[in-house]
Amino acid sequence: MIALDSVSKRYGSKTVLHDVSFTVERNEIVGFLGPNGAGKTTTIRMIAGFTAATSGTVTVAGLDMAVDNREAARRIGYLPEHPPLYDTLDVGAYLRFVARVKGVPRRGVAGELERVAGACRLEDVFRREIFKLSKGYRQRVGLAQALLGRPDILLLDEPTIGLDPGQILETREVIRSFGAGHAVLLSTHILPEVTLICRRVAIVHHGRLLAIDTPDGLRGAVEETRIVSLRIAAPAAEARAALLAVDGVRGLDMTPPGGDAPVLAVECAVEDRDGVEAAIARAVAGRWELLEMRRRAPTLENVFLHYVREADRAEAAS
Amino acid sequence: MTGVQALYVKELRLYFRSPIAYFAISVFLIGTGYFYTYNVFLGGTATMDETFQNMGVLLTVVAPAISMRLFAGEWSGRTMELLMTLPLAPWQIAIGKFLGALTILLAMALGTAINLIPMYLFSEPETLTILSGYIGFLLLGAACLAIGMLFSALTQNQIVAALATVAALLGFWFVGNLQNFQSSPFLWRLVDYLSFSSHYETFIRGLLPGESVGFYLAVVAVALTLATGYLQWRR
Repeated sequence: MIALDSVSKRYGSKTVLHDVSFTVERNEIVGFLGPNGAGKTTTIRMIAGFTAATSGTVTVAGLDMAVDNREAARRIGYLPEHPPLYDTLDVGAYLRFVARVKGVPRRGVAGELERVAGACRLEDVFRREIFKLSKGYRQRVGLAQALLGRPDILLLDEPTIGLDPGQILETREVIRSFGAGHAVLLSTHILPEVTLICRRVAIVHHGRLLAIDTPDGLRGAVEETRIVSLRIAAPAAEARAALLAVDGVRGLDMTPPGGDAPVLAVECAVEDRDGVEAAIARAVAGRWELLEMRRRAPTLENVFLHYVREADRAEAAS
Repeated sequence: MTGVQALYVKELRLYFRSPIAYFAISVFLIGTGYFYTYNVFLGGTATMDETFQNMGVLLTVVAPAISMRLFAGEWSGRTMELLMTLPLAPWQIAIGKFLGALTILLAMALGTAINLIPMYLFSEPETLTILSGYIGFLLLGAACLAIGMLFSALTQNQIVAALATVAALLGFWFVGNLQNFQSSPFLWRLVDYLSFSSHYETFIRGLLPGESVGFYLAVVAVALTLATGYLQWRR
């Protein structure tokens, strides 16, 4: 549904997007992760047709955005980072305007407005002027206009920003339900949001696409998946020697007992192959009490930071 | 044309839900009423000629107040991103907005029609001259609004848009005065042709010259095309 092929964007001499390629298929929600200034908004704006690519092609629903952006716009629902609202209009008038421009037939407008107002919980403020709304409601009005006309593709730039926890859950549910049968590209700073909603995650940094995969795939690709955490009742020096002697253990980090931790906490960096955990268990068992042993699941935050740091390191080296 | 129509309705709603339309129409009608009273009741001339002339000058100040928000308001309110990503071509956006502003101009013109009542009650004015004066006023107003819309598209600041438009309109209004300084017949003709006021005067005199109608329509077409082209270029 969405395809970017070697897309770059330059503003004058500054290149803000370098040779980015990825696709978003139907029935898929893809999360777009990146620090501020990474190029997320520029990418989404290019897909939405607000700005054109300097080179490469952006295809939406099979339509080249450089040629057919108006036709493609009928298939896109877009919520920019700042909800584009007319403050002096009331919610109903605003949504009616967007619905009519999106080509919703006059007779179908009332039903369509009812549908999106229900999905975004706007019934209570439907006749209220937009400037009187709280930030959360403004965000929901922005989301409602994106849903109008039942677009095939939904582009959401920070859709849950400014919402309270209850509203965030509701909005996520709306997005998740929209994902069935549609393609959704979602930019966010909230990492758990990506894990909760998205099937795949794209990590961008300094205008480059660093990785795109499922959250599990990304976790598996970083070194941290090969860390084993232990809690053992053992003297530090002896435990260090015993663990380093295990075939497959490349290094370890120890936190001695004290305070809230009455036992030794160890983090072993191990080779990524079967049997290493079993070997560690054998080295410890019988000599000391093994209270806990687990392969540490990295958070998406760690994965994200890993990619960003790697990219920074590579940039510094070149 | 559904998109243009929806945009037009939205523009009118925005005008009438903010003080701009009321302010512009009020200032214009109060100003016109003052000049009408002065010209007709105090001056004793039962024609609209002088009043039309004054309405033209007033327009150079009031039209920028109407046009300044057309695009500058969208840029500064971050709603331009919505307009440019809806299924609307830039020319449709320009036309929808222009028609909205033109409707305010029409409301202003209709408001001045109240001045005609005493004139028809107490004298016998030339209806065709008045009609051609109004046509000239609307054409002049359309040209002023189109120029204002172009400046509004070029900046995010409504005040800057308004001031630039006032400067441009005053330039177009008074450029005819440069005729006296032109020795070249070409430049003499050129400054006369570019003068908003000299074209407008022909309408006030009761004529409907094709050249003047064409001039104002050409100004509208050029300004709208430039605004459309700028939007396309911004993309």
